[in-house]
Amino acid sequence: MKWTDFDRSFAALDELRRHMNAWLGEYDRPRSGAAPAALGYSWPLVNLYDNGSELVLSAAAPGLSKEDLELTITGDTLALSGRRTVTVPEGYSVHRQERGNVEFARSFALPAKVNPEKIAATVKDGMLTITMAKAEEAKPRQITVKAG
Amino acid sequence: MSTDMIKRENEDLENVSERPTMRPPVDIYENREEYLVVADLPGVGSDALEINLDADRLTLTGKTPHETPGEVVEREYRLFDYSRTFQLPNVVDRAKVSAELKNGVLTLHLPKVEAVKPRRIEVRAG
Repeated sequence: MKWTDFDRSFAALDELRRHMNAWLGEYDRPRSGAAPAALGYSWPLVNLYDNGSELVLSAAAPGLSKEDLELTITGDTLALSGRRTVTVPEGYSVHRQERGNVEFARSFALPAKVNPEKIAATVKDGMLTITMAKAEEAKPRQITVKAG
Repeated sequence: MSTDMIKRENEDLENVSERPTMRPPVDIYENREEYLVVADLPGVGSDALEINLDADRLTLTGKTPHETPGEVVEREYRLFDYSRTFQLPNVVDRAKVSAELKNGVLTLHLPKVEAVKPRRIEVRAG
């Protein structure tokens, strides 16, 4: 099995899970990206936006710096992986620990073709934003209707 | 995430902005010199974070941006505002509390007053 096959099957699983959630009525339930997760299957939580010429994926990933993150695009599949580490500072005792370590790998089947040369990712205030310009053929085009 | 984690900033008063608020997850550590509170606040910039010190209460309030960069295609999360209040132990030196915010993670240093810090007593030979 090639690496791209893995990507594809994960994207398919993610897709399926999203639909399952929708059916179960959980889809629109408010959740927060801040929730710690032991497994990076649903971390970070992401939103996907479309502004016509770009797809924008945004993720709540507190504590993640750009060095902790790997992004790959294969065809119309975007994969994120990395690690968010919570370290107990040396010499301190722990009173409470609600934040968690997380090692994550998620991939997404994008709803439109994107130009792999025009992808920009930024990490700011614990939010990851990936802006992907759509491929020319995927951009919406206005069609003028002529009067007959 | 269970809904009991989400609560209004104040149960009695209605909030004009009507944005739900959630308690951010925190870690709390302690050593001889200080308490350390670490909180996940994704989406909160340093200008949108407020830390208030009352007599014995410390309240964190963080606001998150409303704008979205386009039409929603898929939504897995919603950004809430954050609020959480801690009872401060008496040993905390109010004047020396400091905070730093990095990558959406707040680190609060709550130093202890001098009197409670362990001190080494020199024993002099008589």
